[in-house]
Amino acid sequence: MTDTRLRLTLLGGYLGSGKTTWLRHQLHVGAFGPRVHVVVNEAAEVPVDDALLSGAAGITLLAGGCCCCTGQGDLLAALRDLCDARSRVSADEARLERIVLETSGLADPGAIVAAIQGDPVLVNHIVVDETIVAVDALHALAQLTAEPLGRRQVGAADRFVLTKIDACAPAALATLRATLATLNGHATTSAAVLGESVALPDLSPDTPPADLPPLGEDQRGPIQPTQVAIPDGMDWSAFTLWLSALLHARGDDLVRVKGVVRTPAGRLLLQTVRKVVQSPEILPEQGDTRLDNHIVFIGRGYRPQDLGRSLHRFLGLPPPAQP
Amino acid sequence: MCNACGNPAAPGHWTDAGAATPGDRLRARFHRAALLNTVLKPYGLTAHDGGVVPGIQMGTMAGAQAIVQTLDDVWIEAERIAGQPIDPLDPRYLDD
Repeated sequence: MTDTRLRLTLLGGYLGSGKTTWLRHQLHVGAFGPRVHVVVNEAAEVPVDDALLSGAAGITLLAGGCCCCTGQGDLLAALRDLCDARSRVSADEARLERIVLETSGLADPGAIVAAIQGDPVLVNHIVVDETIVAVDALHALAQLTAEPLGRRQVGAADRFVLTKIDACAPAALATLRATLATLNGHATTSAAVLGESVALPDLSPDTPPADLPPLGEDQRGPIQPTQVAIPDGMDWSAFTLWLSALLHARGDDLVRVKGVVRTPAGRLLLQTVRKVVQSPEILPEQGDTRLDNHIVFIGRGYRPQDLGRSLHRFLGLPPPAQP
Repeated sequence: MCNACGNPAAPGHWTDAGAATPGDRLRARFHRAALLNTVLKPYGLTAHDGGVVPGIQMGTMAGAQAIVQTLDDVWIEAERIAGQPIDPLDPRYLDD
C-alpha cells in the first residue's frame, strides 16, 4: 500500500538565519517539485516574507503569532483547509504533493510536529518527512551559547543548512560544525550562500567543539548521545514495547531517538522528537546496512549505560555481554 | 474508520509498522500481548490480545478491565492504576 498522504517539510531556524533566502532559491530551482504549497509563519504582525516567495504553486501567510504556541490554531486550520482542498481532487489527477512550512524564528519545530501529529484530522492527511534547520554560520555559536530555543531548534533537525558561510572564517565554521555534531549527531549538514548550495570542506575529526555552558533549563545534566544496539533475536514488537514505555516515562528528557531497525516489513527508519514518534518509513534494502539495529538516543537525565541494560531488564532478558 | 465505534481513530500506530502482511500483523499482536503481560505482571496488571477485539485488553488482578487502542494508552492506563509512570530507567529497578 502506498502512502498517499501529503508530505510536509518543516523549515526552521533562528531569527535571521536565512530561512526565507534559502527557501526562495530552492523554490526557484524547483527543489521541492512542481506541486508545492508554501505556508509562511511570522511572529510579527507585519508580514514581509511572503513578498519574497514566488515560484510555489500557492502560498499561505500566517502572521501575528508563532505557530508553535499562540498561532497554533491558525496553523492547524490552514493545514486542514489545504488537506480539504486536496481531498476534492482525484488521486489520478495532478494535485498538491508537498507543503513547505517556514516557521517563524521563534518556533520550536518539535512542538509543531507534535501539534500536527496530535490533530485527529491532519494525522490522516499529512506526513512530516523532514525538518530542515537553517543555521547562521556567523551568529549560531553565540545563539547556542545563550539561547535554549537555539538548542531546541538544532536538536529537532534532520538536516542543517549552514547559511552565510562565505562571510565566516574557516576555523569558526569548523568549530560550529563540530558543535552541531555534538548537539545533534545524526543530522546531515549542507551549506548555502544566498540560497545557492555550496560544497563544504571535509571536517577534520579532531576539531574541538565549542564549550557550551548549561542553560537554565538544563539542570538535569548535559544532553548527550548514546548508541544502543538491539540484540540479535530481539524483534520489533519487543523493542517498541520498551521504547514506548521509555518515551512515556522519559519523553521530555529524550530530545531525539533515531535509527534503522530490521523488521519483517523491511528496514524501518525510526525517529522521534521528544514524545512524538514519526510514522516509521520503510527504507530500500540497498545502501549502508552496517548500522542497522543501532539506535541513537540523544537526551539527558539518565546514565548512558543504563539504556542498554534497561532494554534487557525491562523485557526480562539475560543481561548484555560485556564488550 | 468504523462509524459505530470510531476505531481506528488514527492510521496505524508507529508500533504497528514492523509488520506488512495481515499474518505478520496478527502474529505481532499475539507476541506483543504476551510480552506485555510479562512486563505488567509485577505491577499487578494483565494484558491480553485475542486478535478479535481491536485493541489491547488490560486488567487488574481484582478484575477491572479496560480496552486500550495503542501501546501509548497502555502506559497511560498503567500509570493511572499504579499511581506512577512505569519507568524502564527507574534506578530501583536497574541497580543490582
